[in-house]
Amino acid sequence: MKGLAKGLKYTLKNMTQEKVTYDYPEEPLPLPDRFRGIQKFYPEKCIVCNQCVNICPTDCITLTGKKHPDPERKGRIIETYNINFEICILCDLCTEVCPTEAIVMTNNFELAEYSRDEFFKDLQWLDENDTNIRKEN
Amino acid sequence: MVRTEEMLLNVGPQHPSTHGVFRLVVKVDGEIIKEATPVIGYLHRGTEKLAEDLQYTQIIPYTDRMDYLSAMTNNYVLCHAVETLMGLEVPEKAEYLRVMAMELGRIASHLVWFGTYLLDIGATSPFLYAFREREAIINLLNELSGARLTFNYMRIGGVKWDAPEGWVDKVREFIPYMRNELEGYHDLVTGNEIFVNRVKNVGTYTKEDAIQYSLSGANLRCTGVKFDLRKEEPYSIYDRFDFDVPTEEAGDAFARYKVRMAEIEESLKILEQAVEQFPEDGKILGKVPRVIRPPEGETYVRIESPRGEIGCYIASDGQKEPYRLKFRRPSFYNLQILPKLLKGENMANLVTILGGVDIVLGEVDG
Amino acid sequence: MTAEENGKTPNEQTDAGNPDQAEELKADEAKQDHSQKPESVSGKAETEAKSEKDAKKSDKPAAESQSERNKTAESSTSATADDQSRKETAREKADQAGTKKTRRPKKKAEKEEAREELEPSPKEPLLKKYVSIIEEHLGEDALEDSFINRASKDLPTLIAHPGFYFSIAKLLKTHEELQFNYLSELHGTDFKEYMEVYVHLYSFSQKENMALKVKLDREQPEIDSLTPLWEGANWPECEAYDLLGIKFTNHPDLKRIFLGEDWEGYPLRKDYEPYDVEV
Repeated sequence: MKGLAKGLKYTLKNMTQEKVTYDYPEEPLPLPDRFRGIQKFYPEKCIVCNQCVNICPTDCITLTGKKHPDPERKGRIIETYNINFEICILCDLCTEVCPTEAIVMTNNFELAEYSRDEFFKDLQWLDENDTNIRKEN
Repeated sequence: MVRTEEMLLNVGPQHPSTHGVFRLVVKVDGEIIKEATPVIGYLHRGTEKLAEDLQYTQIIPYTDRMDYLSAMTNNYVLCHAVETLMGLEVPEKAEYLRVMAMELGRIASHLVWFGTYLLDIGATSPFLYAFREREAIINLLNELSGARLTFNYMRIGGVKWDAPEGWVDKVREFIPYMRNELEGYHDLVTGNEIFVNRVKNVGTYTKEDAIQYSLSGANLRCTGVKFDLRKEEPYSIYDRFDFDVPTEEAGDAFARYKVRMAEIEESLKILEQAVEQFPEDGKILGKVPRVIRPPEGETYVRIESPRGEIGCYIASDGQKEPYRLKFRRPSFYNLQILPKLLKGENMANLVTILGGVDIVLGEVDG
Repeated sequence: MTAEENGKTPNEQTDAGNPDQAEELKADEAKQDHSQKPESVSGKAETEAKSEKDAKKSDKPAAESQSERNKTAESSTSATADDQSRKETAREKADQAGTKKTRRPKKKAEKEEAREELEPSPKEPLLKKYVSIIEEHLGEDALEDSFINRASKDLPTLIAHPGFYFSIAKLLKTHEELQFNYLSELHGTDFKEYMEVYVHLYSFSQKENMALKVKLDREQPEIDSLTPLWEGANWPECEAYDLLGIKFTNHPDLKRIFLGEDWEGYPLRKDYEPYDVEV
C-alpha cells in the first residue's frame, strides 16, 4: 500500500503543474529555425549543376536546364525543376550540397493533400513557396 | 472435469502491444502458452540492398528509419564504420555533439520504452509523464538537427550542424529537471506493489541463456553480465566520462526495468560531463574528401545502442557505394529468445515478456 | 540492377558535362570545411577505383585482395605479382584518362603501406595463438588463411576450410584458452566468385574479438549451421538463407524469415533481378 500512496502523491503533485500540451490546429506549432519542411527553390540562383539530383537518396528530384538566352553569358539556366513529394524524405541533403543555395528548406510541414497528383511539386510551386524560409542553410 | 482444447491464436501483425507490425502465432491450451512462433518481415524494406546503390552520405537518412527511436546511434554506427575503414579523424567538438545527441537519444528511447511498457501492462499515467519528458528531448534534438525523429544529423567525419546558440545551456538545464522527474517515476512505478507483482519473476532467464542467445544491452545486463561497449571497447570519446554500467542479477522483467531506469541516470551523468567539457570552438567536420571512397577492404564495428549492440559491416571495393553493407540489429537478435521465454507461461504474461525485450520493428526487419 | 543503372546514367552524364564548374563552385564554398585534396588513403584508392570503374567493376572480390594486402603487410614481402600488375594497369588507365587525378602524389600511398609494414599489429601474438591452437587440434588443413584486418580495428580474422568450419567454431567456443562464447554477428556476402559467411565472435573471459570466415561455392552454397553451438545464430542464418540462398545444414528451422517462402530469387546476390523493374 505504501507504494501506491507514494505514486498517488506524484500524480497529485503533477495536477498543479503547467500544461505541456499544444493547442495545435488552433495555434501554430512553435518550430525551431532548423526544422526541415518543404523546399523553396530560387530559379534565378540555380546553375544546373545537378548536385541535388545526384545526392538525393530517393531520386525524387528531376530537372532540366537550357543554354543561357543571353549569348554573351556562359553557363546554363534552369528550365524545369520537380520534386516528387510522394517519395521525398526531407533529408536535407539537396540543400546541403547546393553551391548557390538555390534550393533551401522552409518550415512549412503541413503537406497533406487529397490527391497524389498534388504531391508533384513543380518549379512554379516551389518558387512560390516563400514563407518561413530557413535562415541557416 | 473441465477439458481444454489447444487453440491457435494470432497476436498481431496489428496489435497495440507489439509496437509495430509483428505477428506471434501462439498455441494455447487454456491459459497456458504451449508454443509461440514469431513471424517477422512485415516491415522489411531491404535497407542493405538499397544501400548497395547509394553513396555513403545517402545511406545516413536510411539508417534513421531502422531504429527510429534512437536514430542518432544508427547514424553514428554507419559513420563510425566508414571512418574506421578510411582512418578519418573526427574533430573533438563533433564528437562531443555526437555523444550528447546519442545520450539524449538513449534517454528518449528508454522513456518511450518505460511509458509504453507500463501502458502495455495496464498503467496509463506513466506514459503521459514519460512522453512529456521525451518531448523536451525531442525539442532539443529538433533544434539541433531540424527533425524530430529522422535526424540525418551525423556526417562521415563530423556532424551537420554546430550547436545553436544557447543549446548547450538548455541541455544543462534539462539534466536536473530529468533527474527530478526520474525520482518521480520511481515513486510512481518502481515501488508500486501491483507493478512489482506483475513483473517480478516473469520471463526469467540465466546468464548462460543470455549469452547463448546473443542477447545484448539491458537484456544481457539484467542477468549480471557487466558488459557495455561504451566501457569495454570505448569508441568516440566515451573513455573520457565517468559512468557506471548498471546490472541486475535476477534476469526477470523487473531486473530489465531496473537496468533501463538506471541507464537513464548514467546517461544523465555522461551528459553532465559532456556539457561541462564541451569545447566552444573548433570544427564540426574533419578533413573529408569531397567524394567518399573508402579503400578496398572490410570492417565491422559495434557500438552500444539503447537496445543493445548495434554493429555495421562494410565491404568496400573502393567505389562510392558499399559493396556490401550489413547492420547487426540488436532487436533482431534479442527477439530470438522470445519463443523460449513464452513456452509454458500464462497468456497474461505474454505482453509483459514481449514488452520487456524492448524491440523496435523497424530494426528487427531491417 | 540494370534498371537502377539506367535510371542513374542521365544524371551522371549531365554531371560529367560540367564537372569543373561544379567543383570550382564547391571549392569556393566556405561553409563546407572539406579540404579539396584528400589527405589520407584516398589518393591511391580513388585512382584505382576510377580506373576499375572504367573496367566495369573488376571481378576481383574486395575481401580477397584485402586479405592479400594484409598478408603482404605482415610478412614484409612485396606485393604479389597479380596485385602488382593490377596496380600497373590501374596507373596506365589513369594516365590515359589524363585527368588531374594523375597529379595526385602516388608515392604517399606507397609510403603509408611501407609504414604499415614496419609496425606489427598488437594483435599479432593473439592471432598466432589462435592459429596454433587450431592447427594443433584439427591439423594444418583446417585453416585456409589467417590475417589481421587492420581496417577493422586490428581484428584477428581466420578463414576456415569449409569442411572444418563447424569444428573450428566449436573449438573456438569450447577451448578453455579461447572461450569465444558470444556470437556477435553472422551474415553472408556474395563476392561474385564465391559466397562468404562472416561470423564475429567475442570472448567474455578474454575480452577479445575475432572474425571467422568461410568461403563457399557460389552455385551450391552450403555449410554447417552454428545453431547447435550458439542459439543466437538461428535467425541470422535464416536471414542469410533468405537473402543470399546459403543453405545451413543441421539448422533446426531454416526458413525465409523476411520475404516468405514464395519469393523468387535471393535479393542480396549480385545477379539478382527484381521481378518488377520499376521498383
